[in-house]
Amino acid sequence: MHSGITVVLAAERIGSVFGFPVTNALIMAWLLMAILIAGVYFFRRSLAIVPGKLQAGVEWAFEGALDYMGETLGSDELARKFFPLVATIFIFVAFINELEFFPGVGSLGLMRGTDFIPLLRAPTTDLNFTLALAIISFLTIEVTGVVTLGIFKYAGKYVNLKSPVGFFVGLLEILSNLGRLITFSFRLFGNIFAGEVVVMVAGYFLPYFLPAPLMGFEMFIGLVQAVVFAILTLFFIKLAIMDPAEAH
Amino acid sequence: MSQLFSAFGIDWHLLIAQAVNFGIVLIALWYFLYKPVMATLDKRREMIAKGVDDARKAGEKLAGADGVAAARVADADKKADGILATAREAANKEKASIVSAAESRAAQVAADAEARAAEEVSRARRESEKDIARLALLAAEKVIREKA
Repeated sequence: MHSGITVVLAAERIGSVFGFPVTNALIMAWLLMAILIAGVYFFRRSLAIVPGKLQAGVEWAFEGALDYMGETLGSDELARKFFPLVATIFIFVAFINELEFFPGVGSLGLMRGTDFIPLLRAPTTDLNFTLALAIISFLTIEVTGVVTLGIFKYAGKYVNLKSPVGFFVGLLEILSNLGRLITFSFRLFGNIFAGEVVVMVAGYFLPYFLPAPLMGFEMFIGLVQAVVFAILTLFFIKLAIMDPAEAH
Repeated sequence: MSQLFSAFGIDWHLLIAQAVNFGIVLIALWYFLYKPVMATLDKRREMIAKGVDDARKAGEKLAGADGVAAARVADADKKADGILATAREAANKEKASIVSAAESRAAQVAADAEARAAEEVSRARRESEKDIARLALLAAEKVIREKA
């Protein structure tokens, strides 16, 4: 095997399907999707009016999240509308992050020449995944703003010709909105990727003892990052639907 | 920029693939998790609301039934009073008629007895008159015989 630490920033390509590259992050994403979908499929079949413990827990979480979203967005109807997107971001990202250190992830792989290529890599440590998520979140936020306020009112948030100060505020708004693509994707990628590197380095210096508690901490970080991504999406939706006249 | 992209392995194929993955998860969770759980929550909320409403209605009905029962009891009381009053009146009438019948009967009995007693007296008197006449006759005979 290799001596020392190799940090690979990009997900490694395993093969290709119909000309589309298939990376280890993509394979893991498919695997996790299959597990997640199977899980919710069986959960759905067990749903009952008188809930079991699991269902009661899920319902409690749903109602809590819906209440919180309703308070934030100021309307239960909007909360119900955006709940699926926000909840899916949280569930999918949290699921990926919690299984990031599952045995086999990063350790099962192929030898290509003298290089070891892991077969599975947490999708959140691949910028393609986090950027895709950021783009989805960004597009949802902007489209929601346009649909809710109308194109002219929404554009008025960014293009303001009434005063020089207003003009620069508008420019800053545009920049900060576009910047969300970068902050969203790199925040998640950076936190989770850095966590993996830290665990790797710890395993190099003090194997057997140090990695396990660090993994626990990184799993906590993974949960926090999932919450952050979902909550920020919620807040930005709220900002987008706010009337500019009310906002200032 | 392209150097940065290649350093992070950014590839639009992979971007699309991951976006599609997220879309699939979103749809699957929507269909298997959000929709059924929301439906369950709504259904339960409806059931609870219906239960509360039913309980309220039952309470109202119970209060109404109390009123009806009280009215019925009052009605029955009034009717019973009426029946008692008529019965008492009838009894009084009956009593009066019985008493008057008994009185007239007693008067008749008394009158009969008086009449019979008077007849007995007159009969006794007639008998004694007959006896006296016979005795007088005997006495006269005796006197006449002694004189003769």
